[in-house]
Amino acid sequence: MSRTAVTSLIALTALVVTACSSAGGSTGADAGPPKPGGTLRLGISSSPDCVDPQQVGTNASLNVGRQLVDSLTDQDPATGESKPWLAEKWEINADSTAFTFRLRDGATFSDGSPVDAVAVKTSFDAIKALGPKSQLGSGYLAVYKGTTVVDPKTVKIEFSVPSAQFLQASSTMSLGVLAPAAYRKTADQRCQGDGLIGSGPFVFESLKQNQEIVLAKRKGYNWGSSLFEHQGEAYLDKIAYKIVPEPGVRTGSLASAQLDAITDVQPVDEPQFTGNGFTEPIRPNPGVVFNLHANVTKGVLTDEKVRQAVVKGINRPEVTNTVLTPNYKPATSILGSATPFHTDLSPLLAYDPAGASALLESAGWLPGPEGIRTKNGQRLTAKVVFSLVFNQNKSVLELVQQQLRKIGFDLRIEQRTTAESVQITQSGDYEYLWYNTTRADPDILRNLFSTKANNRSKLPADNPVDAPLDAQSSTVDPAKRKPAAEEAQRAIIEHGYSAPVFELTQVLAHGPNAHGIGFEASSRLQLFDAWVSGS
Amino acid sequence: MRRYLLRRVLQAVFVLWAAFTVSFVILYLLPGDAVSAKLGGGEAGLSVTPEQLAAAKAEYGLDDPLPLQYGKRLVAAVQGDFGRSIATGDDATNMVVSALPPTLAVTGFALVLALLFGGGIAIAGTVTRHRRLGDLLLALPPLGISLPPFWVGLLLIQFFSFQLKLVPALGSNGFESLILPAITLAIPTGAIIGQVLAKSLRTQLAEPYAEIALAKGASRSRVHFGHLLRNAAVPSLTIAGVVAGNLIAGSVITETVFSRDGLGRVTSSAVTAQDIPVVQAVIVLAALVFVVINLLVDLVCPLLDPRIRHRETADA
Amino acid sequence: MPDVLVRTRRKPGLILAIAVLAFALLAAVAPGLFTGQDPLAGVPAEKMRGPSPWHLFGTDETGRDIFARVVHGAALSSQATVIAVVVALAAGSALGLLAGFRGGALDSAIMRCVDVLLAIPSILLSLALVTALGFGTTNVAIAVGVANLAQFARLMRAEVLRVRSGVFVEAARAAGVRWTGVLGRHVLPNALGPVLALATLTFGTAVLEVSALSFLGYGATPPTPEWGSLVADGRGFLATAWWMTTFPGLTVAAVVLSANRLSRAIEGDVR
Repeated sequence: MSRTAVTSLIALTALVVTACSSAGGSTGADAGPPKPGGTLRLGISSSPDCVDPQQVGTNASLNVGRQLVDSLTDQDPATGESKPWLAEKWEINADSTAFTFRLRDGATFSDGSPVDAVAVKTSFDAIKALGPKSQLGSGYLAVYKGTTVVDPKTVKIEFSVPSAQFLQASSTMSLGVLAPAAYRKTADQRCQGDGLIGSGPFVFESLKQNQEIVLAKRKGYNWGSSLFEHQGEAYLDKIAYKIVPEPGVRTGSLASAQLDAITDVQPVDEPQFTGNGFTEPIRPNPGVVFNLHANVTKGVLTDEKVRQAVVKGINRPEVTNTVLTPNYKPATSILGSATPFHTDLSPLLAYDPAGASALLESAGWLPGPEGIRTKNGQRLTAKVVFSLVFNQNKSVLELVQQQLRKIGFDLRIEQRTTAESVQITQSGDYEYLWYNTTRADPDILRNLFSTKANNRSKLPADNPVDAPLDAQSSTVDPAKRKPAAEEAQRAIIEHGYSAPVFELTQVLAHGPNAHGIGFEASSRLQLFDAWVSGS
Repeated sequence: MRRYLLRRVLQAVFVLWAAFTVSFVILYLLPGDAVSAKLGGGEAGLSVTPEQLAAAKAEYGLDDPLPLQYGKRLVAAVQGDFGRSIATGDDATNMVVSALPPTLAVTGFALVLALLFGGGIAIAGTVTRHRRLGDLLLALPPLGISLPPFWVGLLLIQFFSFQLKLVPALGSNGFESLILPAITLAIPTGAIIGQVLAKSLRTQLAEPYAEIALAKGASRSRVHFGHLLRNAAVPSLTIAGVVAGNLIAGSVITETVFSRDGLGRVTSSAVTAQDIPVVQAVIVLAALVFVVINLLVDLVCPLLDPRIRHRETADA
Repeated sequence: MPDVLVRTRRKPGLILAIAVLAFALLAAVAPGLFTGQDPLAGVPAEKMRGPSPWHLFGTDETGRDIFARVVHGAALSSQATVIAVVVALAAGSALGLLAGFRGGALDSAIMRCVDVLLAIPSILLSLALVTALGFGTTNVAIAVGVANLAQFARLMRAEVLRVRSGVFVEAARAAGVRWTGVLGRHVLPNALGPVLALATLTFGTAVLEVSALSFLGYGATPPTPEWGSLVADGRGFLATAWWMTTFPGLTVAAVVLSANRLSRAIEGDVR
């Protein structure tokens, strides 16, 4: 293909995709009003090992679990605000240590028992008791003190220290509510769907490992989130999640109508689904973007000017244009653009090789052999550890490696298994880590950067991020959280604690028969408003 | 004979124990562990805390001293209990056993196809009097071995499923979903069978008894089917183990490419997740399969070739 | 060896096979002879171009020339196959020799250990080596070698048993020749043919096995090119940029076929 043809195709794709994408959902043109009935055959890329939303942490599992449970609140994907769901209203005390929720009427679990204060208390106590088995919930409830049943419709959830992030966390499926009867089964049994009794718009029907998971409509459902586009029951009779690990087979199955919709569309397959009846809903993941997270105590990274030069030496648009597609945005901050209180810091992240070289020269790093700078006999080099959780990680890092070479920096790329990466992270034996984390709340920065939490940058006690991170976690007042979050993001980039590169984006594709497939605020699938036509 | 069988059974037990132990050692020597794999693979990614990790390890008994863990697992394994999978929470033995039927369906079908085509090509290529045709036929097995299986599988799907829409690309429902995976698996396996059989047949064809039979006026096909095949079968049977290994290894790929459940998928996920209970269950099962196959081959070969029978009993 | 040369007369297939292998070997030691393009750094603007006079095999997703990557990949792939074959040959033959020679309990013990090895999936061996020694083709090659040593062990053992029971060995022993002499003078020379044939064959299949392991995620470290990884990594582009996986795949197929052909010639089994 000629260069102009390729460029035009990219531009056209960008136009069409922008027109088609939306944060809330997608609809096929002129399909008429939504019709109840039918099965959505959804192709996913990996097998959810467990379907209990209270336990799981992988995208695949969360996409299933979200449909089975309701949460106390829902989070608006467009604004990040908390809206009513199982709870009609709520109050938070001054220092964010006590959250009182008033539950709505009429909600029941699929075994008929009511969603009342006792049930909510049982559920939250049980999540805490799961301990490490609750991969995400254990983090949200790290400082959970207990739940009090104030009256049959009111619960008070308390924490031992301020935990403002809990309001957002209460909208996640990880803190979704299961019936008291569910806890008569073991956690392992619930993982396989046995005793997985929630109040959600769908109920668990069957699970065949590595093959498919089937959910069925909950009859009589009438307590949906205030953010749903319709009320009452879900449209779909069934959702069949088909597990198709090979990306090429996933896309081919959608193209040949063996599937109605697919997740994890690879960059190379995106052009196939623009136009000709297909739609590509996308949503960037909130949270911490894919970034080179620096350990400031190791090697050449102890020098702040080196870290800052690396931030300047990465050509982010080139990365997204070459290895990825326009659906993946270059990073504009350490937080993703879909994260509440994200601040646009693009001027700080502009490609500036001249500025980077100037910084390095002023720090004494002079041009050396093979184009890599040296200082006192030491080479300007650092190692980045990554695992293949995202298929394009290798290609992205190779391109970044090429870019940094131009400013005389040798980025060595080391691939490890996921298990090893976790070990390495724990041991602190790394220079750069490459990863991303999904969370629709800026508190994730505190988790990763604060010296009182994981402190992945190994910062000393006296640093510019601890204070603002503590400030944003101690109040739910947006007027106070926003400036604190901004200050933290700015400090992280200006001091080079991390060099953010691009935002992970969920790219789906579906045929003309599927409609209403939406994303919730953490960019997981929300299938309540989804429906199928034709067939 | 009884002593021989007894010895073989004891050896089989040794093999099973060794497989169990070696897999345990390998998995424990690996950096990282099942818990790190499980927690790190999720959206929480690297925001896992040391406390969470430690608590999770304790939960799964991964912080007991190694000999104790080994002892507990061995005792349980002898009773058929390999523990619960750390990744899924399901019973490991159950996972392996329920993954067997889909794998057996594909490998069984593939073996039949491989024998038919591999064997057929080898026989046809050596029986025929037309040298060109024979050469052409016998050039096929090497081609079969030289193509990457996942590539072949993807091409087959692309063509027969997406373009021609003749067969489904996914799933384990029904006979049609078996066709493409079985063909993909049968190609390299059939190629090996074809090559070895062709070579044996040619060797046999050069033997004096074959020449004499032909000189006596027997037709080529009679010589082939009456004498050669039986003698050529023996060396071919010795590769039964290799064939089995090929099928098992191949099923990892075909199951991934064709989105089927089966032992291959279970194995590769378990290995990636360092999920000890499941990996051990798979390895012990595989060891059992090899032991049984070898035992059967060792019992059948003497029946086919009396010379071996006498040699064996002399050595025994 | 001279036998093979004699047989090449009037055998275009064999000549072609040797030529292909020679090219591969030459590319491995002197890649500069075949291409001047950089296999490691691409021009992003030229990504995903089809085959053209400028890019014989097209370009990949970051704009690298695929022909250059295939040529430069020959070195790593050859290295990988050599490692795999050497590991399989040396370890397998040693075990087979020992088993066949000593016989009895040692024989059974060794062969059962080999069985255990067969039961361990090569994917686990790869994972073990890769996590112990780092991601990279070399370690994957060792895993492939270990996975293949059973065949060599069986073959060597069978050959040893065959020769051992031969009359001339009895005669030699009766004449007072020690076992090491018999080994060196009779067993090894006779076993050489089949073992060498198997080794040549394994040269070919090792590349495919490395490729399969790359498909499962245990391939070469970025950005180093290697045939197996090229085929595996390019498979996602089959529908849109078929050249990325097809040309490396054809290269692999050509080399494997050639190795196979040569193997049969060495074995003396060519008609």
